[in-house]
Amino acid sequence: MKCMHTRLPDYYAKVEAAAKRLRPETKFSISGMENVKTAKLASLRCGRIEQEIVQVTEDPEIAEIEINMVPFNPEEAYSVVIKGKRADGTCKKAVLDNMYATIPSVEYYLFDAEEIDDRRSGSRQYDV
Amino acid sequence: MKFRYRLLPEGAADGVVPLNVAFIDQADAKACGLTDLDAVKLVAKDLGKGCAAVNVMDKNGVSVSSDGIMNPIAVTSVACVDHGMINPSFGFMPLSEIPMYDSMMKDEPHMRQWLTEKFAGRPLHRGPNKTDLGERTGHNEYMTTTGRIANNNSGSEFFNMIEMTEILALMAGQYEIMNDGEVIIGVAGPEVSVGIGMVVSERWGRIFGGTNLGGYKPGMTAHCSGEYAKTVKSDYPVIAAPKPKFMETMLDALDIGLVPGRELGCSPALVSVAHAYGKEIDFDRITPASWVELEDIGLTREKLMKPVEKPYTREEMILHAEEIIPGIPNAKAYKVSDIIEIREVEF
Repeated sequence: MKCMHTRLPDYYAKVEAAAKRLRPETKFSISGMENVKTAKLASLRCGRIEQEIVQVTEDPEIAEIEINMVPFNPEEAYSVVIKGKRADGTCKKAVLDNMYATIPSVEYYLFDAEEIDDRRSGSRQYDV
Repeated sequence: MKFRYRLLPEGAADGVVPLNVAFIDQADAKACGLTDLDAVKLVAKDLGKGCAAVNVMDKNGVSVSSDGIMNPIAVTSVACVDHGMINPSFGFMPLSEIPMYDSMMKDEPHMRQWLTEKFAGRPLHRGPNKTDLGERTGHNEYMTTTGRIANNNSGSEFFNMIEMTEILALMAGQYEIMNDGEVIIGVAGPEVSVGIGMVVSERWGRIFGGTNLGGYKPGMTAHCSGEYAKTVKSDYPVIAAPKPKFMETMLDALDIGLVPGRELGCSPALVSVAHAYGKEIDFDRITPASWVELEDIGLTREKLMKPVEKPYTREEMILHAEEIIPGIPNAKAYKVSDIIEIREVEF
């Protein structure tokens, strides 16, 4: 079970369905993985997220679910692929290099939250 | 109880400071029974919806600038706070005390400064050890991040990632801030930009080196970017000590026989000071890549190899510090008390 992984399109479908399960008119958006077109996501985590979305919508005041997928490590490392292509679209040469980017960390997405229920595992929760 | 800390607020120094930087005297925290992290949490609470880079300072400690000059001040923890939060994995990082080890003076000869009367016996803090790093991985710099703010290179560069602004704080400038002295604040310029890449090799250094010595030896450039080195940080504001005081820290190192390029980094400031002081520069150990960067800002090998007619005395060096030490053009001097807010937090 632990090794099962969910397809990215299935994840998007599942979380949107979870948002609308109790009230189909609930508005829904998800952002943060726009550049990831294909991926396998940890299935148990997908289930947790679905459950949490439903729990949030149990509050009748909630009219919208917004999901932000934020990299855990705010100092991101990228492999840069520089591709030189011919006119016919074939790639003649690729150069690889590293890029590091420090991005706003997850707190940036929490500024307007009246209540934070931190369910991250490990020692990653806010010390309140 | 009341806990006090220093805040260099966004907009200070005629609008040049782009973001809040908080400085905590570890002695104040200890007097209140607080750990470094406890004290940072109080700063987070006090700033409400604001954000800040935070350095916890030991005024009795010692640290080392990137080019190997010892300063009588140390950063014991670095942090970032935003909207009362501290990122649990990346928002706080202790910089543990570094013990003197058996081969330190051989492996890190610039640390002979630690044996002098001014520094002997004082606790050393530079960069993090493996435990301090926590969840940071190989590609991570010695940085903390919370929300909008990052605090990099063990407490000497502060960023706002939304505004994409930045300010540098040299260790000698942080000494002035903690001791109600004077600072100069201005645009770093090409000389500082080149200089911060000319580092020494250390275990648990502020920027490089862990259990093993950092790979960049004196005489090398960590930037290694030729004519571009002068642009890396040249446009960013920097907090520094007035040049006469900055001069004294370098003279102390030269006076015990440390040589730029051999034991000390070959930064523009150090080679300029050594040249005017009639002290040795190890020209042959300065690598070709470093010479490209130095010559690109007018510090040519030819010019530096030509001895001055009459080297300045120590007193004359301090007197002429403004003209000898290159960098931070058009800096403005400020009394620390005029730009710092002393804030009190009830807890």
